[in-house]
Amino acid sequence: MSRRARQYRHLIDQALSDVRRQDALHRFGDAYLAARAEAFADLDFESLRHDIAVMKDTVRDDWPHQLEKFMQQAAATGAKVFLAPDAQAANTYITDLAQRHDARLAVKSKSMAGEEIALNHALEGIGIRVVETDLGEWIVQLAGQRPSHMVMPAIHMFRDQVAELFGKLTGEHEAEDIAHLVELARQTLRKEFLHADLGISGANLAVVEDGSLALVTNEGNARLVATIPPVHVVLVGIDKLVPCLEDAVKVLQVLPRNATAQAASSYVTWLRGPSPGRDQQPRELHIVLLDNGRSKLASSKESRDAWRCLRCGACANVCPVYQTIGGHVFGHVYVGAIGIVLTAFLHGLDDAAELIQACIGCRACVNVCPAHIDLEHIILGLRRRLAETEGVGLIKDLLFKRVLRNRRLFHGLLRTASRMQKPLTGSTSSVRHLPLFFSSLTEWRTLPAIAPRPLRDLLAEQPLVAEPRLRVALFGGCAAEFVLPDIGLALARVFRHFNIELVYPEDQSCCGIPALYSGDAATATELARQSVLALTKTQADAVVTVCPTCTTALTKHFPELLAEDPALADCAAGLAAITRDAAVLLAEQLADASPVGPANTAGTVTYHDSCHLRRGSDVYLQPRRLLATAGWQLTEMAHPDRCCGFGGSYSVLGQPTIARAIAKDKLADILATSAEVVAADCPGCLIMLRGLLEKSNAPTRVAHSVQLLADTLPDK
Amino acid sequence: MIKTPEALLEQFCQAASRVGARTVRCLSAKAAVDYIVRHAGGTIILPDFPAARQLNLAELLRTQGAEVICGDLFQAATTAAAGITGANFGLADTGTVVIESTAQAIRLASTLPERHFVLLNPHKILPDHMAAVPILRRLHSRQSPDFIAFITGPSRTADIERVLTIGAHGPRELHILLLDGLSDDFLET
Ligand code: SF4
Repeated sequence: MSRRARQYRHLIDQALSDVRRQDALHRFGDAYLAARAEAFADLDFESLRHDIAVMKDTVRDDWPHQLEKFMQQAAATGAKVFLAPDAQAANTYITDLAQRHDARLAVKSKSMAGEEIALNHALEGIGIRVVETDLGEWIVQLAGQRPSHMVMPAIHMFRDQVAELFGKLTGEHEAEDIAHLVELARQTLRKEFLHADLGISGANLAVVEDGSLALVTNEGNARLVATIPPVHVVLVGIDKLVPCLEDAVKVLQVLPRNATAQAASSYVTWLRGPSPGRDQQPRELHIVLLDNGRSKLASSKESRDAWRCLRCGACANVCPVYQTIGGHVFGHVYVGAIGIVLTAFLHGLDDAAELIQACIGCRACVNVCPAHIDLEHIILGLRRRLAETEGVGLIKDLLFKRVLRNRRLFHGLLRTASRMQKPLTGSTSSVRHLPLFFSSLTEWRTLPAIAPRPLRDLLAEQPLVAEPRLRVALFGGCAAEFVLPDIGLALARVFRHFNIELVYPEDQSCCGIPALYSGDAATATELARQSVLALTKTQADAVVTVCPTCTTALTKHFPELLAEDPALADCAAGLAAITRDAAVLLAEQLADASPVGPANTAGTVTYHDSCHLRRGSDVYLQPRRLLATAGWQLTEMAHPDRCCGFGGSYSVLGQPTIARAIAKDKLADILATSAEVVAADCPGCLIMLRGLLEKSNAPTRVAHSVQLLADTLPDK
Repeated sequence: MIKTPEALLEQFCQAASRVGARTVRCLSAKAAVDYIVRHAGGTIILPDFPAARQLNLAELLRTQGAEVICGDLFQAATTAAAGITGANFGLADTGTVVIESTAQAIRLASTLPERHFVLLNPHKILPDHMAAVPILRRLHSRQSPDFIAFITGPSRTADIERVLTIGAHGPRELHILLLDGLSDDFLET
């Protein structure tokens, strides 16, 4: 492990021991989602965010022209406009300006771009006192920290800590009372506003049509920054350009709702040119347009969608990793999912390496992003690039290149492992210590044993379906093939019952996602090739999987990886079109079949939505219906769609300590339902959940919904 | 569906009260002045704007015994209890008042004192932000520089433990006085 990685592990451990903060961030995440749902109640979020994405892309693809036009328009209003190619240029422009005006005190309204270029540091370097005036930002400044959230900079702190901090400033004992602390800030900062020589703010929007800027705040500090000091500098990223006022209003409709669940922020200030000062005295308005990597971002094929970001902070709010370790560890300047992407761009892949690996891939952020950015996809691309420069790590490298690409070797190894582990498994189906590469990570949950016989061997013994109405090829996937073959057997049983033939092509291999998501695209491509060939040969009517990660591989990654392969591109696309998750296929096929069992007699079940199924494929109704069809009584757990912490190889090889903390939340939600069974449609989740429940000695059974359906079928 | 002016006004009042603003129907200028004098709680700063001129507001307030400061407000603004401005129009869906605030005095009066009183013609309510765009565009093209404020409720923060607290840097109270007979030009306050 590199020194940097070791340091990062240390930071994670520290963050994990801060239970109070974790608890607060979790509660925040829950409250946020509820309030947000209400704020969007009358609006169509999907169509709004689609419009915003299209609009932002238009500007991005034409940014030099849009920028030029904005600069002309803004200059015509009397503002001084400067394009800063990088942080240094922006800082130099602003420090020069400050010196020209002999400024001593600058008041600042929150600006993430200012954080990005470390503007305070530059100003302080020439002896100017800089005072942040957004309450959260001021608190963080007084504490000598950086914001841990883009919208709520001090969300990691509590009132007693703020009181102590303010006490140091006033030299008195300050009450731990929020109203008192806010009042103290108001009074103290009021004086600073009145004496400031320079006002500095960001802007949420820069409108190309007429050179206007929109500033959004709730506290009103940006209005004072824009009103009182004789010079106002607006530092704004070139990604904030929007073509016209209608577009701006669309953003303003979504931004406060998604950021703070408000229909509108208290103050939206439209600024065009330098508004006059006292006695109509002219003031100065300087607009510093910041590139600093943004133009590079615009032309990056894999990351350019990040240009769309509105800086609403939502991707952090809902992120299980953020909720667990907080923004100081899970971020650099920008935090959360977008923080990973921007850090990689603004500060280089190296600085972002740990963040890139810390993403669990649950797609919660993708669901709430108002600019429709597929953050997970971008992060995977970064991970791939990281692997190209740093390698995927010795163990993974060996595993992927030597073992995974060679199906016979891989499967042979797993069969051997299955024999070798026998003395360890004892009577349960889970081992306390796993052979090979999964070691030393079992204190907090059991890890599964490799099954004595793989699925392919077991399926070979299944009776045939005489005159099937459908031929379906099963893509097993490693977990169902070698760890949980019972799922495949259950599917075979269900298919037989409904007269569907199950075909299991021998030469299929791993779906390649462990390699792909670790950054080894070459191995993933080779694996895609092998499986596409094997599946195509079957000429089946459909392909079914019992693992949503495999579904994602077949429907999304295989066509992408093989797009340039003249022989297989069409095959991969054809397979993608006929691939279904088991629950979806069954729902389609059994649409008019009568219920299998009498309602609510099979037992009580609670359902866990696996990330790839819920957010990757938008499947959540079908498995629930399937369970009801089979006579199960469903009790919903709190947060059924929150990640269980498995995240593919994440919980084993990536960040096991973070995974553990995330898993603890899931366990509590499951146990609170008192259901007899917890069902999920993903072998990865099942492994995680089973391990958790066994380790905590809970009697709850863990099963794939296909197994629960099979259980209630009449014996044959 | 197009809403009647009454329905828009009703929606505006509800939305404004949801975000903590008070809306008051005033049947006469006198009633508005009485209300302001009752609630001002101290010195009032009164910048120059069309409705104030039209109603001769400074006079009326002083007759009711209020201490009113006009002209150069800068010093007074930092200690005044209340500020009065007009509004160009309101937005029904969010309870927002839109105020052309290019003159610094308007910005001071609507930002620094504890209480902000806004005079609004109840017939000038638009359904939502999108409906305000053509007017915003006209305001922008009429002059530059310019400064247009969209104000929704009093100043607020939730930066400590996400607890909503009213009165961060701006007014703690926002009183919207609905008074017939004010200019029906959307470009004018
Ligand atoms: S990436 Fe999306 S969710 Fe995250 S801050 Fe940007 S706009 Fe908000």
